[in-house]
Amino acid sequence: MSEDLYWTLIDIANGLLSGAMLGGYYAIISLGLALVFGVMRLVNLAHGDWLIVAAYIAAVVVQFLGFPPFVSLIVVVPAMFVIGYALQRYLLNRVSVQAMEEKGMSSNFGLMSPILVTFGMSIVIAHALLGIFASDATGIKNALSYSAIRLTQDLSISTLRLIFFGIAGAILVSVHLFLHRSHAGRAIRAASDDPEVASLMGMRTERIYALASAISLAVAGVAGVAVGMSRTFQPFDGPQFLLIAFGVVIVGGLGSIAGSLVGGVLLGITQVLAGTYFGPSAQLVAGYMLILFVLAVRPQGLFSR
Amino acid sequence: MSILAPEDDGPLLRVAGLSAYYGELRALTNIGFEIERGEILSIIGANGAGKTTLLKSLVGLMNRGRMARIEGRIEFEGRAIENLATEDIVNAGIALVPEGRRLFSRLSVQENLMAGAYLPRCRSTLKERLDEIYALFPVLAERRRQIVSQMSGGEQQMVAIGRALMSSPTLILFDELSLGLAPFVVDDIYRKVSQIHELGVTAIVIEQDMKRALHVASHVFVMLEGHVVLEGKPENVTEEQVSAAYFGTGIEGLG
Repeated sequence: MSEDLYWTLIDIANGLLSGAMLGGYYAIISLGLALVFGVMRLVNLAHGDWLIVAAYIAAVVVQFLGFPPFVSLIVVVPAMFVIGYALQRYLLNRVSVQAMEEKGMSSNFGLMSPILVTFGMSIVIAHALLGIFASDATGIKNALSYSAIRLTQDLSISTLRLIFFGIAGAILVSVHLFLHRSHAGRAIRAASDDPEVASLMGMRTERIYALASAISLAVAGVAGVAVGMSRTFQPFDGPQFLLIAFGVVIVGGLGSIAGSLVGGVLLGITQVLAGTYFGPSAQLVAGYMLILFVLAVRPQGLFSR
Repeated sequence: MSILAPEDDGPLLRVAGLSAYYGELRALTNIGFEIERGEILSIIGANGAGKTTLLKSLVGLMNRGRMARIEGRIEFEGRAIENLATEDIVNAGIALVPEGRRLFSRLSVQENLMAGAYLPRCRSTLKERLDEIYALFPVLAERRRQIVSQMSGGEQQMVAIGRALMSSPTLILFDELSLGLAPFVVDDIYRKVSQIHELGVTAIVIEQDMKRALHVASHVFVMLEGHVVLEGKPENVTEEQVSAAYFGTGIEGLG
């Protein structure tokens, strides 16, 4: 094998590996967005901003309480779970399709108003973070930042990304099992299908929605810690993660957990390979081109039924 | 147990002065009736007569906000339920098999049935209850893993009935039980209804098929434009009287 070909293959292999690892956390970013949309037909435009909030919580916990970076998860995940529950129960449920219909308004209004509310929330969160933490880039210092596992002499994986890929996989499997094997999970699926009939089964839909939203933000919290440990972040970084989540949902298909993993991995690989060959600025463009391509060829997404 | 536990000798369900509104539109006017334990009440009436609205009122689906609301009194086992949320009414022991089945279409047969046993009081006996439902509908036992949207209408209706029975209701409401089903399937479904009734469940059945409604019932209502225009025991009303009431041409009937 010529040396040129060897290095080309190594570049591609490294790109595939590191893109796939990136895809793991792309998958969990989108999982929360897709869950909330699937169950409540609610597009949470502040999803990315909440992820950044989680990253800041982790940074504070690590810096001021002296927690090891991974241990910050035991604070971040419950905190995000509570925020998600309260947000849905006391704010978003009041502007939902059902709430609007009960007030005698058109259901279109009920689809629009959560979008406006979460759009506003996104702006408020970003500016609140700016007020508290200023616009400097923050990161969560950890020993694994520059650590890598060597597979061969020239092929390696970032340790941190591998760990978060494992965590993402575990989360996807657990959420799947939760949705299919538990009473609460079945209730979430039932309520997403027909909320009125769900209430006829004794299910309190407002609590079920709150639970779905709590899970969504708890999972976003894990992604937030992953982001915080692997790169620097700023108060206004939220929307780029929202776009990633949308991209994954479009590529993988809505309502499929396997789809979110495959979508995440495809998007990750596309971005990393584009970055390798065309420079960092090509990453985003390549991601959007993949999204456009899927929209043109298979608009329902690869895994959608 | 509460010391205020309802006495068992009163009617199972008592409805008095019940009116229901969709916005400004009145769909039910001053409905009043009682059902004793073990009865089957058939409600007959044309589309728009208020039958479904009546059932929805009984399970709290008509007091959701400003658009759909009710006035009047509904007592179940001696307890006022007209202001309760649907979840609490179901917990008290009323189940509705909705018009058009409305199964959870992406869930399997067994998952639909298990969703019916969501209430905490049902969970400890879930396994036994599932076995009872499968004994009642053996065809469902064979297809428990199947996604319900791939099943025939009759099978779906069985899942819908089974799902409602999972909560061990005292009173079960069937809305348009035979709508869209082939006659031999309907025969089968009604045999099941009789079996359920023999287990001690009281039932209200909405039925378009007059003969069937009269046959299964211990008590019959005919509704017209939100009113009950004919009421009686099936042996005391003739099909002619029912038809006349149905079309609003002979309201004097039995009254």
